[in-house]
Amino acid sequence: MNVSGEFTIKAPRAAVFDTIRDPKSFISLVDGIRDLKEIDPTHYQAVFETKIAYLNFKFNVSVEVTKLEVGEIAAKIEGTPLGVVGRLTATTSTVLTEVGDETKVAYSVDAALAGKLGSMGQPVMRSKAKDLEKVFVSRLRERFAQAAAE
Amino acid sequence: MTPFELAEPTKLADAVKLLDPDDPTVRPIAGGTALMLMMKAGVFRPAKLISLRGIESKYSGIAASGGGLRVGAMTTLNALERSADVKKLAPLITRTMLTLSNVRVRNVATVGGALAHGDPHMDLPPVLMALGAKLTVISPNGERSVALEDFFTGYYETVLEKNELIAEAHIPAQGAKRAAYMKVTTGSADDWPALGVAVVLDSDGKAIKSARVVVSAATTKATRVKSAEAVLAGKTVDDKLLAQAGDAAVEEAEFIADVRGSVPYKRELLRVYIKRAVRQALDGGAQ
Amino acid sequence: MTMTHDAPKAGSQVGRSVPRLEGRDKVTGRAEYTHTMRLPGMLTCKLFRSTVAHGRIKSIDTSEAKKVPGVFAVVTIDDVMKVIPDPYYGPAFHDQPILAHEKVRFVGEPVAAVLAMDPHVAEEAAQLIVAEYEELPAVYDEVDALTTKTYVHDVLKPAGTFADLKHLKDARDTNTALDYRLRKGDVDKAFAQAAHVFEHEFKTQKVLHLPFEPHASIADYKDTGVTVYTASQGPSFVRTEIARLLGWPENKVRIKVPYLGSGYGAKLYIKLEALVVALSMIARRPVKLALTFEELFYQITKHPSTFRIKSGIDKDGKIIARKCEVFWNGGAYADIGPRVTQKSGLTASGPYEIDNVWIDSYALYTNVTPAGALRGFGVPQLVWAYESHSDMIARALKLDPVEFRRKNLLREGRPHATNTIIKDAAVEKVMDHVLDRMNWSKPFDKSTGVVKRGRGFGISIKAVITPTTSVAIVNVSGDGSVTLYCGTIDMGQGSDTAMAQMVGEVLNVPTETVRVVPRDTDVTPYDMGTLGSRSLFHMGHAVQRAAADARDKLKALAREVGEPEGSNIPVRDLFVKKYGMQAGNVIGTGIFKPDYIPPAPGTGLSENVTAFWMVSGAGAEVEVDTETGHVKITKLVNVVDVGKAINPRIVETQISGAALMQLGFTMFEKMHIDGGQVTNASLADYKIPGFHDVPTVMDNSHVDTNQANGPFGAKGVGEVATFCVSPAIANAIDDAVGVRLTELPLNPESVYRAIRAKAGKPLEDE
Repeated sequence: MNVSGEFTIKAPRAAVFDTIRDPKSFISLVDGIRDLKEIDPTHYQAVFETKIAYLNFKFNVSVEVTKLEVGEIAAKIEGTPLGVVGRLTATTSTVLTEVGDETKVAYSVDAALAGKLGSMGQPVMRSKAKDLEKVFVSRLRERFAQAAAE
Repeated sequence: MTPFELAEPTKLADAVKLLDPDDPTVRPIAGGTALMLMMKAGVFRPAKLISLRGIESKYSGIAASGGGLRVGAMTTLNALERSADVKKLAPLITRTMLTLSNVRVRNVATVGGALAHGDPHMDLPPVLMALGAKLTVISPNGERSVALEDFFTGYYETVLEKNELIAEAHIPAQGAKRAAYMKVTTGSADDWPALGVAVVLDSDGKAIKSARVVVSAATTKATRVKSAEAVLAGKTVDDKLLAQAGDAAVEEAEFIADVRGSVPYKRELLRVYIKRAVRQALDGGAQ
Repeated sequence: MTMTHDAPKAGSQVGRSVPRLEGRDKVTGRAEYTHTMRLPGMLTCKLFRSTVAHGRIKSIDTSEAKKVPGVFAVVTIDDVMKVIPDPYYGPAFHDQPILAHEKVRFVGEPVAAVLAMDPHVAEEAAQLIVAEYEELPAVYDEVDALTTKTYVHDVLKPAGTFADLKHLKDARDTNTALDYRLRKGDVDKAFAQAAHVFEHEFKTQKVLHLPFEPHASIADYKDTGVTVYTASQGPSFVRTEIARLLGWPENKVRIKVPYLGSGYGAKLYIKLEALVVALSMIARRPVKLALTFEELFYQITKHPSTFRIKSGIDKDGKIIARKCEVFWNGGAYADIGPRVTQKSGLTASGPYEIDNVWIDSYALYTNVTPAGALRGFGVPQLVWAYESHSDMIARALKLDPVEFRRKNLLREGRPHATNTIIKDAAVEKVMDHVLDRMNWSKPFDKSTGVVKRGRGFGISIKAVITPTTSVAIVNVSGDGSVTLYCGTIDMGQGSDTAMAQMVGEVLNVPTETVRVVPRDTDVTPYDMGTLGSRSLFHMGHAVQRAAADARDKLKALAREVGEPEGSNIPVRDLFVKKYGMQAGNVIGTGIFKPDYIPPAPGTGLSENVTAFWMVSGAGAEVEVDTETGHVKITKLVNVVDVGKAINPRIVETQISGAALMQLGFTMFEKMHIDGGQVTNASLADYKIPGFHDVPTVMDNSHVDTNQANGPFGAKGVGEVATFCVSPAIANAIDDAVGVRLTELPLNPESVYRAIRAKAGKPLEDE
């Protein structure tokens, strides 16, 4: 399953990069991530909890940052759902490009979900991924809007 | 499946009191055709189920009133299918029922359940939305009215709070309006649809005064496509107009890919079926 | 009617549409199935399955699962190996472990088993097991599997049963579980001489059997013997394999098979039986494992395939050379894939007489659910390719598709690609009958509107799997009543009825009075398996012989008690004369194994490669919606050569059932796989044909022929009508809208995309 898209932020590329590269700042942009633990500067663990209507899904997640350069961030994610046999694996890549005084953020996530959720939940997860994207973009924009106002 | 508590209240007012606004493992159950599958799959493990089967019979009835239908939430789809009032006041519903799931499901599934489940593939939501249905929703704090077009918020998601239940649906009479619902499957004939399109037209011959157009299944929720409605309103139907309406709908709708088709394909299906649904409605949709 | 021992009237039982003997029990819900069976004290098993397509098992933590109240035991391969030290099984290779051992090789592979009295408790506990894997690169595609450096198995372990697998013993660094080849004539030279050369590639997708009764097995182990109740199409093989795993003689292993809620090849050889036996040994109680529909997606499927076919045609339209390269995606365990590869591979060049033929057919391991036989043993995948290819050639050369085929058809007395002379294969007769039922010679309105019409057909041949053995016993009791013991499994194809008809015919008793004993290896003799449309011919022969043997013994008994020649004495009186009361038995036995010459190593040639040929043809009329790609099948004609029909009504239902099953595989069925995970592993998202998918007109028939070496002139029918459905429909779509699809399924999006591509406006990918 591939989820990709792009959006623009009214901020310089370096500023956007700094916001995304800092794990604490990053997870505050994503709905449902908590309990972040840094193992080392490229390895993290967290709990990802998401709900779809009355269905709650909780994953133990480990993240390995595989590329961290101004302009590009890539990571490998592995997650195990709690209470149901399954496995989430994903690789993500985010490319930041300067477009005038704005920054274009292009992202691509290749995710595979195995086990029960993977055998029946793909369209729902796809829809959930879109929701997460919307939250992420609006929070990121909000942050830079505030920064600009201050 | 792990053990859970089952409550069987006899009044709707009691049922909503048994629900917990903060605990998603306490759920109401009506026909159970969808919820039981979630439980069987192990993705939903209830602590407590509130069965609505025993609540007042008025919530299982259909009444013609004030130029429309009042349908209790616990009315089975089968009762909806066989109701003479429904056939008279909203024949589009009667026609839709013939290919809605199968007789075993229709015998137990309920109108309230079919709406509250929020599965975008279901047939009833786009049809009722196109007809302009409103829902009466009750909670321990009282009741409110929600237009069905404002009811769905996402895949399986609605505006219902966890301690709210649909009490009844109010469906305006179709009257002289022309209507059609087209369900497009890409697997077996009885598969879940890849696309559903419902149109209800207030028209005079080929001249459309106003239109309601709803897209489902290809999208994460049943959605009114108002841009397409705007294209059609006040115009006379021809190929060009229908193509414009299709383009507008495709631009507005948010599609989702699944085993039934890719996003580009579903876009094309929608273009074609907006056209076909309007034509079908105009050709014979009043009966 | 009183049974007498005089000569029967020919055709009094055989050829009659006797209603199915078990029909009433089935429709009233009284028939016995393993899936609904319970034994006292029985534990239920639920499985914890792999979430990784290929990986080394680092650890399996069962501690939380064991704590769940009501859990009897949680079992991993370590526990299994304490009771069965070498836990690998399989019909072609001993490659499949009872539970994952050291490695997992596909998403969904059983890794641990939870036992509890309450299935819900077992299911809940299974969710609490945690396994850690070291993930390895995985291979999913059959063509990639041939060249990749990722190997599904470290070392190959042929079972030793099949001569053509022996050279693979201890092979390393390969995913090839069989490389079958046929070489006849000189293809390279012929291609050089050909006026036209055509090369095409065809693919089929991963689909599955979906029997109405999912797999179910119960084992009841005691040190004195083990009884296995199982939904199996091959109890004799199950017994042999369980005995081998336990190091026991076969007579300590008893396999009982009640009726099957269909099989289609899914329940062949050995499936859950080894696991339930191991679990019963560990638990010392009866253990049942019954799969859910969702779990079927991780048990066995049809082979996806890639078929590269190349033909050289001379200036007169004669095919002078054909090269076939077939790649079979066998999944993680070989199951019977190598047999599919060889036994269907040998007919890959089709029902045509071609002097120069080259066939390479590869069974390949990959990291997906294993593949096995599915109603056709690989032949539907081949026919899909070669009959699409036939039409593409005819179209390109502007030849009439009928005349092009007619010029090249294999005819009676001519050599097949294997060098076996064709006998009793009504290829042309079947084709002509299809054309006749299609009104082919009449003008056809293709329409010029949004919906375009088209028609197409295909013709095919299959060699029955040879050589195989069947044994039957006919028992005449003291009152003259007759009981048949045969291992053929009645899984809905009506074999009990057909076999009883043959007994009735020989012994001159009504079919309805013949008792067919439920399958039980303690009493029913050996049979190779209910597969590949072999049973009516092979077991039919054995049954006919057993009945004739009983009749001869009755005659001898009559002579012995002093009856004059031609006496019409009722059989029960015969027993009374012999034993002084209603007592005794007459036992007739019959064994059948056909003549056969193994293919020569290297060339695959044999003068006698098969016991009989199966032939079928299909024709389709379609309407294609050019705006959406939807294809409506307005007419489907299915014609088969079954020799003489033993039960014409059952023959017709077998034809329609087979054709509709293949219609699903043709039009929409597909297991979607993402990262090794089947993403539509449920009946909500994997749909099979329903009543609304039945073509508007469905025309099923068999041609009137005689299988000279068959029992009562008959041969098998179960799978035959699957062969030509796919190419007939694809050919009809091409006729309607001029697009050629080379990959199944022919779903609306595929058809629409092809239409757009042809118009030079391809639809974007995502």
